[in-house]
Amino acid sequence: MAPAGPRSGDAIFASAERVNAELFTLTYGAIVRQLLTDLEEVEEVNKQLDQMGYNIGIRLVDEFLAKSNVSRCIDFKETAEVIAKVGFKMFLGVTASVTNWDADGTCCSIVLEDNPLVDFVELPDTCQGLYYCNVLSGVIRGALEMVSMKTEVTWARDMLRGDDAFELQVKLLKQVPEEYPYKDDE
Amino acid sequence: MGREVSESCVDSLLTELVSTYSTRFYANKPDLAAHSIEAIGYQVGLQLSERYTMDRPRFSDHLEAIKFICKDFWSELFKKQIDNLKTNHRGTFVLQDSRFRWLSRVSIDPSENGDVSEDNPAGVAENKASLVTKMHLNFPCGIIRGALSNLGIPCAVSADISNLPACSFVVRIKV
Amino acid sequence: MIVCVAVVGHQNNPLYIESFTDADDALKLHHIVHCSLDVVDEQVNNPKKSGPTLNETFLGLLYPTENYKVYGYFTNTKVKFILVTTDLDVRDTDVRNFFRRFHAAYVDAVSNPFHVPGKKITSKTFEKG
Repeated sequence: MAPAGPRSGDAIFASAERVNAELFTLTYGAIVRQLLTDLEEVEEVNKQLDQMGYNIGIRLVDEFLAKSNVSRCIDFKETAEVIAKVGFKMFLGVTASVTNWDADGTCCSIVLEDNPLVDFVELPDTCQGLYYCNVLSGVIRGALEMVSMKTEVTWARDMLRGDDAFELQVKLLKQVPEEYPYKDDE
Repeated sequence: MGREVSESCVDSLLTELVSTYSTRFYANKPDLAAHSIEAIGYQVGLQLSERYTMDRPRFSDHLEAIKFICKDFWSELFKKQIDNLKTNHRGTFVLQDSRFRWLSRVSIDPSENGDVSEDNPAGVAENKASLVTKMHLNFPCGIIRGALSNLGIPCAVSADISNLPACSFVVRIKV
Repeated sequence: MIVCVAVVGHQNNPLYIESFTDADDALKLHHIVHCSLDVVDEQVNNPKKSGPTLNETFLGLLYPTENYKVYGYFTNTKVKFILVTTDLDVRDTDVRNFFRRFHAAYVDAVSNPFHVPGKKITSKTFEKG
């Protein structure tokens, strides 16, 4: 296996095409609000945000693998680190950390203290059940599924609900062994 | 201040937004899908115009406000200005971007836009792609309408893509 | 000190009004704010054709009363900010700075995706004595 380790998220972010985060933040906010208008039920909005994230995740994973130099066949533990340190940085420009590993290494938390999705956001009382950033849990789930890891991703802490950070609990349900090798021409 | 995200974040969010509305929620009701996507753009345009006009004097007329959209506002979003502005001097303005960034970057996933079977020739697929493109354009049209409305210029905005990759936004001011 | 600040929408609909005095004065202050809106309209619609103040967001001193000074600010998005202060010798630059910070806070507040245009604005933004 190539010894070249994953590139740092900072380097990838620095060389990527970047845009003004306001556009992204406000667009996401407007989508959440329109979903609430169109779907009415907060629960349904949570579900759809997760679904949108999932679809985004399965598409973004190729860009992620290509730019980050991460090998496909690493274990769950390394994968979680790479998502936190490289993935979040290269897309959102922020770094997350990984904590709270359980004994058998199949469940951990990804903690995010700075999150561009929620700049300016204050949840109204009518939306208390809303997982505003649910798109993120979907992205992680979708991306991991593309590298053969079936996971369940849930929110443990949410700053919009008064917690001191965002914490996503990622639980590995099943790791499907890779059937055929990923293209080896890089 | 000055926070940035990778451009693929915006691209993939827009791609997914359009796909969610036009193929999952309102597959058979393109008008409803278009309306919701436009409404999302409208809110974004409203908020962005609030932010981007903060440190500047008030515009003295419509033309000045439109020029602001063509220059500063467009540059903030797309790192380039509108290439050509035309007006009939009767309340219609045409803003042409000769290479509209969202048309070249936002991917149009054919698998999600109806299947292309053998007896479904390329022409149909092309037609389908153009429908998806039009669906995408509801978002920037909404942004322009939201921004101008917030600057006190109620208007209708549509997009013309007969000269791809150029895209023209037609602004009709309501009197 | 600042006794009252207000944000007023483009149809003269109040979006935010906060007075920092006894309840008794609130009504009087609201009245002052209300009157000042006409002065703003007057200034905006009939700008003095002279010099650099044309189209500036900061409208300056709208009118003095016996006990107060009333300042105005008018954004590109047709929103009015009114400031009522009891300081009779405030410097223009201080007022400008106040409005600048106030404007920034306002813009962030309306950037909340759940903000309904035309509805009130929450939190922070009173400062300076």
